[in-house]
Amino acid sequence: MGTDKNQTSKEEKKSSVSHIIEIPLVGSLKNFFTEVALITQFIGRYFKESLKPPYEFKEFFRQSYFIGYKSLGLVAITGFIMGLVLTIQARPTMAEFGAEAWVPGMVAVSIVREIGPVITALICAGKIGSGIGAELGSMNVTEQIDAMEVSGINPFKYLVVTRVMATTFMIPILVIFSDVISLYGSYIGVNISDKVSFSLFFAKVFESLDFIDLIPAFIKTFFFGFIIGIIGCYKGYNSKKGTEGVGQAANSAVVIASLMVFVIDMIAVQITTLFM
Amino acid sequence: MEKQKGNTIRLGIFVTLGVLFLIIGIYFIGQKQRLFSNVFKISGVFKNVSGLQVGNNVRFTGINVGTVEDIEIINDTSVRVDMVIEEKIHRFIKKDAKATIGSEGLMGNKTINITHGTSKQKQIEEDGFIATGQPVETDEILAKLKTTADNAATITDGLAAVMQNVSQGKGTIGKLFMDTTMAETLDQTITNLKRGTKGFEDNMDAAKNSFLLRGGMKRAKKNKEK
Repeated sequence: MGTDKNQTSKEEKKSSVSHIIEIPLVGSLKNFFTEVALITQFIGRYFKESLKPPYEFKEFFRQSYFIGYKSLGLVAITGFIMGLVLTIQARPTMAEFGAEAWVPGMVAVSIVREIGPVITALICAGKIGSGIGAELGSMNVTEQIDAMEVSGINPFKYLVVTRVMATTFMIPILVIFSDVISLYGSYIGVNISDKVSFSLFFAKVFESLDFIDLIPAFIKTFFFGFIIGIIGCYKGYNSKKGTEGVGQAANSAVVIASLMVFVIDMIAVQITTLFM
Repeated sequence: MEKQKGNTIRLGIFVTLGVLFLIIGIYFIGQKQRLFSNVFKISGVFKNVSGLQVGNNVRFTGINVGTVEDIEIINDTSVRVDMVIEEKIHRFIKKDAKATIGSEGLMGNKTINITHGTSKQKQIEEDGFIATGQPVETDEILAKLKTTADNAATITDGLAAVMQNVSQGKGTIGKLFMDTTMAETLDQTITNLKRGTKGFEDNMDAAKNSFLLRGGMKRAKKNKEK
């Protein structure tokens, strides 16, 4: 009896120790590394599947239409407001130094290098990332993905590869539109308080822009697009069963994709600085 | 099917426009760097380039005509700067033209300013070397400004001392401004002078009417009328 008691108390101690170790740090670290490993596996599978024929061009174009063209309105409005507000906010400070003439150049560099790509990527992470996460999540919950597999269609190729490809190629185009519309917003912003001709404004814009501003910013948008697509697909494809799982998939897709946009941006800035 | 076709066309327009905007952007930035225009190359050797960077503008008569292509240290006292300039400007840049390093403003980028040469001279050769002038350094300007400010301080000190003397009525000017007795004396002198002039005028009138001088006066009047 006494030995039994000792054994139970030992076991209790052991379990409480492991409990302390597991919660909350070790447990969450374990989950984090597992998640990283699974996403890496998912990305590896994406590259493997995307290179192997047959290619789902039709679905790729359909997804490109929904991801790119259908997001243009939202991106355009945000871009216009961004350019306008940035100019209105920056002008008084520049005027204090007597440097109003530098406003177009300053706004152009800010928009093309940083604000345009990052804000557009964040908006797309919200709209497209959550959309993909929820769509694939509900397909997973309703076992449509399993049904596709049974009927001989490769669901990964059809659902994941096409969507990720579409986000990778459409986000850069959306960013170009956002940059152009932002600069137009900035032109309107400058003309609220001053009078600057369209040609002079854009001459000033291109005077201050360089390839080192445009090219790295454009290249990083492909990575933004890829990460938004892959995280959205991963979360949706591996969502938990049940309606709650769909919501969770959409939510975590947005959160992780937004966070990854900032991480990629930071790395891109560091790499660009090396070449400057 | 019809709807899908419409979507594909919209997507095509969307992608084409996006790519077009990108190409326009690349073209204008490239044009600024003279990537798409005929250019010629010249070099200049400077002792100090004052923070000039590759890509900075080259100006001729105040117009941007080229950019700095390369900056290279030749030895411990000289730096070679290669410039690419628009071909259409070539004939205006003569052999005796001079390149100096300037600035776009107090906070602006550095620029290379090419001055006129003499019109009789031949145009500068391609890949040739242009004469250079030393840039005006900000430190130098500040040092000169300091000397000027020191001088100004010395002058103002002297002026302050003079003004103090004047206000205290010291010296001739001080007395003139501040001493009331002197003003009164001056006033009295002027009154005396006026009185003296009046007396002299009366004497002259009397002399004119005198029978001794009347004939002489009439002759002088006639001569004047002739």
